Amino acid sequence: MRFPLSPSDISLWIAVMAVLLLLTSEFLLTSTGFFEKIIIERKRLRLVALGMGGAFTFSVILHALDII
Amino acid sequence: MELLKFRKVPSEKISLFLLGIGALSLIESIIVESPVIAFIGLSLTFWGVLFLFIKPVRFVRGTLLDFMALTPYSTVDRIIFDLNYKGKAFYIPPYPKEVYLPDHLKGLKDMVVFISADVSKKMPPIEDLAKRRFLLQHPRGICVTPPGLGLLTLFEEEIGKDFSEIDIDELPMSLSELIIANFHLARDIKLEILPKKARLSVEKPLYGSLYKNRELKSLRMLGDPLVSAVACAIAKSSGKIVMIEREETIENGERIAVTFRFVED
Repeated sequence: MRFPLSPSDISLWIAVMAVLLLLTSEFLLTSTGFFEKIIIERKRLRLVALGMGGAFTFSVILHALDII
Repeated sequence: MELLKFRKVPSEKISLFLLGIGALSLIESIIVESPVIAFIGLSLTFWGVLFLFIKPVRFVRGTLLDFMALTPYSTVDRIIFDLNYKGKAFYIPPYPKEVYLPDHLKGLKDMVVFISADVSKKMPPIEDLAKRRFLLQHPRGICVTPPGLGLLTLFEEEIGKDFSEIDIDELPMSLSELIIANFHLARDIKLEILPKKARLSVEKPLYGSLYKNRELKSLRMLGDPLVSAVACAIAKSSGKIVMIEREETIENGERIAVTFRFVED
């Protein structure tokens, strides 16, 4: 029994999530009309999106330095 | 109606459901060593946590805010009526928070509105403001807390700085962002700063229905909480005394046009 994902898999997953969240947060922050009425904490979403982006960048740096 | 729709969405339950399924999938992925189930589990857990983190803030009905705001205005109205005051309201800028003042002058850091007894533009002496006095004799008038001070404090917390640190030219942009995008207090606002006055136009303001009450004299004098918060922000940013020169409500409070005037002491 072991966790079936390698660090590269997790890095890829983080990249996909970061792209999705960054697109969503950017869209929600600039949207008007119907989407403007979506009541969520937009700033927190943006923070998480940026955090995921940062995490992906960090994982790429670790890859480049051959740490993982 | 929108609030009712919102109430029906159990966002917390959905988040916990996603979190539960995600955690189970992760455990199963470890048992059967399946990367696909691990990806699914990881994603469901992540979105579950994310939904909990970004869940909607608590919303209340706008009418509730109107009724809550009415009470301080009727109190001020009773005072004005009893003292037979016929003057104007002046927003007096406080000292910036970071400036050191001895204990006996700490009152100068409070944002206050001076309601004068007559139409003269004579401002209260600094000693009275420092002592946090309410009823003033020379000149006659009262010093009250602005109805928009709570909103102003909220704005300052949101931007992380005092309005006295914001340049007057940047104020329209900062206030538009706060009022429209951050707090949804109005559909649109336009603030124009001129050398001796400032013009504010608010479209669909949250407190618009307050203006249906035509009897409240203090509402016209001090402005609704949003207008009052803008007056406080202008006073703090410019460092000048501000008075509401003219207030116009159009279509029963759907649009408000306010002219502020800077008063030279």
